[in-house]
Amino acid sequence: MPVDQLSTTFSALADPTRRAILARLAEGDATVNELAEPFPITLQAVSKHLKVLERAGLIARGRSAQLRPSRLQGEALKEASDWLAGYRGFWEGSFDRLDDHLRAIQKGRPE
Amino acid sequence: MTQAATTQEITIRRLFDAPRELVWKAWTEPDQLVEWWGPPGWSTALSTVTMEVRPGGAFRLMSVNEEGVEMPVVGIYREVIAPERLVLEEPAGDNWHDGAVSVLDLTDLGDGRTELVLQSTIQTTEEMRAAAEAGVTASIERLAGYLA
Repeated sequence: MPVDQLSTTFSALADPTRRAILARLAEGDATVNELAEPFPITLQAVSKHLKVLERAGLIARGRSAQLRPSRLQGEALKEASDWLAGYRGFWEGSFDRLDDHLRAIQKGRPE
Repeated sequence: MTQAATTQEITIRRLFDAPRELVWKAWTEPDQLVEWWGPPGWSTALSTVTMEVRPGGAFRLMSVNEEGVEMPVVGIYREVIAPERLVLEEPAGDNWHDGAVSVLDLTDLGDGRTELVLQSTIQTTEEMRAAAEAGVTASIERLAGYLA
C-alpha cells in the first residue's frame, strides 16, 4: 500500500469516535441518524467522521441522497488490519532516516 | 473464530554505523529525535515534542506529512537505562490501537557500530475485533499470512 494511503488509514483509525462508528457498522449498515444516536455529537460531526472514513476506504456510502447508509468495506478493513505492515513500515522508514542522521552528525563532528 | 489478530508482536533489528552513545542521544534528545522520526515525507515540529526521559515520564509528539495528515504519538516511558534500554508504553485512548509496548535495546558491538532491536507488542482494538468477528476474519488471516 502506498505510504499516503497508509497514513490516511492510520489517521482515520486514530479517533475513538471513528473506531466506534466502525464497530457499529460491523453489526450492519446504518444511516447517519442511526450512527449519531449513541454519541453526544451533532449529525454534522458524524458526517465529518464518515467523510474521513470514506476517504480512507474504510466505509462506502449508499447513493440514495437522503439516507446514504454507510457500509463497512471488507477490502478496506484489510487495510485497517494492515496496521501491522504500517507499523513496521513506520519504523523501517524512520530508521533509514536515523541512519542518514547518524552519518551526517558524525561527518560534522568527527569523534 | 480466531483471536490471532488481537495481539501482534513485531521485532525490527538494525545495525548503525555509529557509537551507542550517539544512537541513545538520537532517541532521548528532542532536537535529535525530530531529525529522523517518521518515514520519509513526514516531519515533526520540535514544538510538539514532550520527552520526560525517566520512568513514568511523558512522551508526546505530532508528526505531519506533506498533505497535512497528522499522526500523533502519546506514550509513557516505563524503563530508562542509559544508554542501552528504553521501554515505551502507548496507552489506548489517544492512539489508534488498544495499547502498545515497545522495548528498545541498543548493543555496543565494540567496533563503533550499534545494534538496535525494537520489539513491539500491540493490542488491536475491541472495535477491530468486533469487525473481525462480523466476517472479515478470513481477510485478516490472509494478511497475517503475507506478513509472516
